[in-house]
Amino acid sequence: MRVFIHDLETKDFLALFPKPLDKTLTISDNGTIHHCLGCFGCWIKTPGECVIRDEYGNMGEHLSRCSQLLIMSQCCYGGFSPFVKNVLDRSISYIHPDFQIRNGRMHHQRRYSNEIDLKVWFYGENITEKEKQTAQRLVQANAINLDCHVYSVSFAHSIVELEEKVLWL
Amino acid sequence: MVIALINGSPKGRGSASNCILQELKPLLAQDGNRVLEYHFRNPALSPTEMEEIRDCDVLIFAFPLYVDGIPSHLLSCLVQLERYLAAIPKKEIMVYSIVNCGFYEGEHNELAVEMLKNWCIKAGLTWGQGIGIGAGGMLPMLQNVPIGHGPKKNLGKGLAQLAHNVLERTSGESLFFTANLPRIVYKLAAEIGWRRSIKANGLKRQDLSLRK
Repeated sequence: MRVFIHDLETKDFLALFPKPLDKTLTISDNGTIHHCLGCFGCWIKTPGECVIRDEYGNMGEHLSRCSQLLIMSQCCYGGFSPFVKNVLDRSISYIHPDFQIRNGRMHHQRRYSNEIDLKVWFYGENITEKEKQTAQRLVQANAINLDCHVYSVSFAHSIVELEEKVLWL
Repeated sequence: MVIALINGSPKGRGSASNCILQELKPLLAQDGNRVLEYHFRNPALSPTEMEEIRDCDVLIFAFPLYVDGIPSHLLSCLVQLERYLAAIPKKEIMVYSIVNCGFYEGEHNELAVEMLKNWCIKAGLTWGQGIGIGAGGMLPMLQNVPIGHGPKKNLGKGLAQLAHNVLERTSGESLFFTANLPRIVYKLAAEIGWRRSIKANGLKRQDLSLRK
């Protein structure tokens, strides 16, 4: 299965993906997402799922069943947009609270054993070179922390340009 | 000089970000400086908050690292502030940032510091300095340890340097440091802590590894 997290408006999403995506769970912004409260409840109260029971409370489980994680996000200061970042903040039940040392630094242990390929498309009219550098490094850092593989990171100025980049999706 | 201490943790109380700001506050409250405190806990700011921020000389953000970056609710506030500040004439505002993470190494915070620096440019503000603190989860439990001593020795040095730059209104290189205790001790303490917490919630230790 693929998990596709995006922040596109409905009209742009339909322009890019007029047909339903095969074997893909699409996570869109329906305006109801609550932000992470930093309570660690997804580790110590309801392990494996977020204590906030909105439509985004099972992200850890969704990630555990996927082999590809696709992210399409506006680039904000070299990171993801608030919605996409919110979904990722709400996904930490995917990992285990205990630590291990990888690449000489402390990271969390895995909770699940699935292998994930990560593909990211950033878009925005005014992405600076510095922001692109930050974003590239961010995706690498995310991949280390989620213990997954970066398949690709790309940038687009507009939705039209995104269309060219995702034709193969 | 009007200095805003902005706590970007979503936690109501007991956050490491608040502990850090409370240690920093006495270092800045001098020479007639006015220190204002804000808590950006939610993803939206009020018009009053934005107007007050606009009138400050210095903004100091303290927030936890979430998934290698800025917590989403704070990011929403920054987007809102960028649009507001970029559209109005304003005086020079210096921005400083203190990011803490639960990992041992302070360097994990580097990208979040960089993102705040990128935000500064977009909002038309002046970058001051960024600090990245490792083992931040320990700070709320060390409130009785004086700053600059024991595990808070590095924190003392880092905050003193930041305060100096703020008071001089100068910029400085980013600083990354951790608590003054061995990594293995921190790792063990954290893992014992998770086991105590899950048992306190009526679950078993092995439930930490539950799969859905």
